[in-house]
Amino acid sequence: MFLRNFWYVAATDSEVGRKPLARLILGEPIVFFRTEDGKPVAFEDRCAHRHLPLSMGKLVGDRLQCHYHGLQYDQTGRCVRIPGQDQIPPSAKVKTYPVVERYRWVWIWMGDPALADPAKITDFHWLDDPAWGAKASYLHVKANWQLVVDNLLDLTHLAFVHETTIGNAALAEHAVVKVTRAPNNVVVTRWIIDQPAPPTFVKVGGFSTHVDRWQIIDFVPPAFLRLDVGATPTGTGAPEGKRVGGINMRNLNAITPETDKTSHYFWGQAHDFDVENAELTNRIFEQIQTAFYEDVAVFSAQQRSLDLIPNPPQLDINADTGVIQARRILARLHDEEQAALHVTAAE
Amino acid sequence: MPDSGLWRRVAALSELSDDAALPVRLGDVPIALYRLNGQVHAIDDVCTHEFALLSQGFVEDGAIECPLHQARFDIATGRCLAPPATVDLRRYAVRIDGDDVYVCARPPGD
Repeated sequence: MFLRNFWYVAATDSEVGRKPLARLILGEPIVFFRTEDGKPVAFEDRCAHRHLPLSMGKLVGDRLQCHYHGLQYDQTGRCVRIPGQDQIPPSAKVKTYPVVERYRWVWIWMGDPALADPAKITDFHWLDDPAWGAKASYLHVKANWQLVVDNLLDLTHLAFVHETTIGNAALAEHAVVKVTRAPNNVVVTRWIIDQPAPPTFVKVGGFSTHVDRWQIIDFVPPAFLRLDVGATPTGTGAPEGKRVGGINMRNLNAITPETDKTSHYFWGQAHDFDVENAELTNRIFEQIQTAFYEDVAVFSAQQRSLDLIPNPPQLDINADTGVIQARRILARLHDEEQAALHVTAAE
Repeated sequence: MPDSGLWRRVAALSELSDDAALPVRLGDVPIALYRLNGQVHAIDDVCTHEFALLSQGFVEDGAIECPLHQARFDIATGRCLAPPATVDLRRYAVRIDGDDVYVCARPPGD
């Protein structure tokens, strides 16, 4: 199941350059490159002539030239040169996609181009805001994108999957959880009061006493999860809104379906303390990255289970409230998109 | 006022809010308190479908929606309004004394 009328993260800014980048998104092969003045462009990655991926070709000025017979396409996707032929037929063109560069990511609109409003891009300003130190990265995941969304909406798994980094038993056993929902939003708020800090927080925050820890997970469709996470020494007032003497971070996640069974996972970690300290930014990033590698191993193992027995019955537990609400939103949006397509087809 | 007879103090009135349930225990029984239009209601907190704590669900239009499978129950009566649940929740008598909320340990009809 894919949702089309959304902006997705397609690539990091540094991945898109003067060498064509091939990437499969929502099952569609797409090629990305930059024009000479730095503008990112996205085409269907298939020559209109004999279907070679255009990503095997090269840029000639602002034109992408097919590796096979040298057809050249301008940045609107129109073929402007066919070697040995003066006339260019009107069908000599490839599909283009709206792209926007923002928050050090290249975003792509996968639906009806008429609806591609950049104002709809989900806010990830922490990744390039000078008030924050941040580092981002990319993981390829051999699992359906919704398994990644599920993972981030139920953080009780930190107690088990990530006990050497960001998790400890307190998370699963002593949290106060509240889930709020809106038509296109789920927020899961977890407070863990007066409990030991997990290993990563001790390393980064230097805590020697118990802490009050928060995890505020903000989900917006299709697969954006912005986590407000941190901890302060117990009794200093974080639950009342006063965050002092601790660590305040954002864990930022944008998942883009590659196929039904594989995903592009763009993520970053930002912190609002000692923001100029690149060594600290890197140290925090590496701790979280260790945890994310552990998640990736879980996702692919889940997918293998589901490949063997598709749509098995499953048990729901208390901690699944956020996961279930998010899946309901995604199912409704999918129904709405499909219904709109049928209306369009009938017109 | 101390507990007397079947009445048990389970919460302070000031702990209640209009948009969320307050989970409490009546002896060993998890129940949930709700405030609707100034009235306090007490009903079972465990869904009659599968194990889910309704107090973690969603209060809308005088009903509580189960957080897991979307069964709905009328808060004032405990009546089941939507599947997959089919059985009503037990309702408990409530008494307010100052800031103390008391619940009768015997549900009506028992």
